[in-house]
Amino acid sequence: MSTAEQSLAFERLVRPHFDRLYRLAWRLTGAKAEAEDLFQELLIKAYGKLDDLVEIEEPGSWLCRVMYNLFIDERRRFARRRLHTVEEGQLAGDGLEGLPGTENPVLDNERLERIRELDKALAQLSDEHRVVVLLHDTEGYKLSEIEELTGVPVGTVKSRLHRARARLREILVANGTIF
Amino acid sequence: MQNTETNRQDQEILELLKDYPMPSADAAFYDRALVRATHEGSRRQRNRWMLTGFGAAVAATIAAWMIGGMLLSDPQLSDPEMTIPGVTMALAQPRTVNLVFASATALDSARLTVSLPAGIELDGFPGQREITWETSLNEGKNLLPLTLIALTPAGGELLAHLEHENRDRTFRLRVDVT
Repeated sequence: MSTAEQSLAFERLVRPHFDRLYRLAWRLTGAKAEAEDLFQELLIKAYGKLDDLVEIEEPGSWLCRVMYNLFIDERRRFARRRLHTVEEGQLAGDGLEGLPGTENPVLDNERLERIRELDKALAQLSDEHRVVVLLHDTEGYKLSEIEELTGVPVGTVKSRLHRARARLREILVANGTIF
Repeated sequence: MQNTETNRQDQEILELLKDYPMPSADAAFYDRALVRATHEGSRRQRNRWMLTGFGAAVAATIAAWMIGGMLLSDPQLSDPEMTIPGVTMALAQPRTVNLVFASATALDSARLTVSLPAGIELDGFPGQREITWETSLNEGKNLLPLTLIALTPAGGELLAHLEHENRDRTFRLRVDVT
């Protein structure tokens, strides 16, 4: 296969899954620059495994697992960068860009403030807890899908979800975001 | 009573989480990412092939180098510098030497720096005493061919410095010119 044919074959396999992968990258890293970096790294890695990829029945799930493993393997790199981003105050800014507005500006401000507090609270969770709560409660993944993605048994996923929610409640009640 | 309050708070948190924003990618980002992936993926593949894809001729060179190294490590030789593997080359005659990197695992994004003594150049990099590039290593032995050209009879020591994450290793090669 020529390089052009390889590129075309690769694009046909991966492009249908781009939105799902981008969302996952965002939920894993929590910031735009890191999400795009992780997405890019995944594509480079996947291109190197094109021969395997063409044989896989569900390339979308496979790509998600590779992305998750890439994130876990290099979490120090992403965590370091995320910390830097937070220091510059960009995490909340990036995260709020896509927030749909309502007709009521007062309500909007209140909502924005609550989302900002949620953002800060999520940043205080461990990677394992944050990822589980975001995938389950925000993205709507089933527990079994999280098990498949992370390789962590459903029982452990459930327990992480329970603890993550409890910790969020503790933080958000303490800072007055919820009563 | 407390359970009711906790349930209500949990419900509020769930609503907040459902509302947690998710910006979409820039329209051109996906296209750029694809182009970079195919370009970078091809480059890494080329690097792997460059490092591994040599046949008998290369093996012969390594064997010669290893034999040379064994002879030079003979305890009768008192000059410690002589324990470094070496090659002898003719002035202005290109000579390919092969560096061997053994790696226990496959490594992506390793950084290789070759430092050349004065008067020795790497073919294709005229005037450069230090050349750095990123490469990938396969598990096992990886070969890196370097075509050297001696511009002066001085010779000297070539250093190849390999770094990956927090680990690094330096390889030394003595170059004699006749």
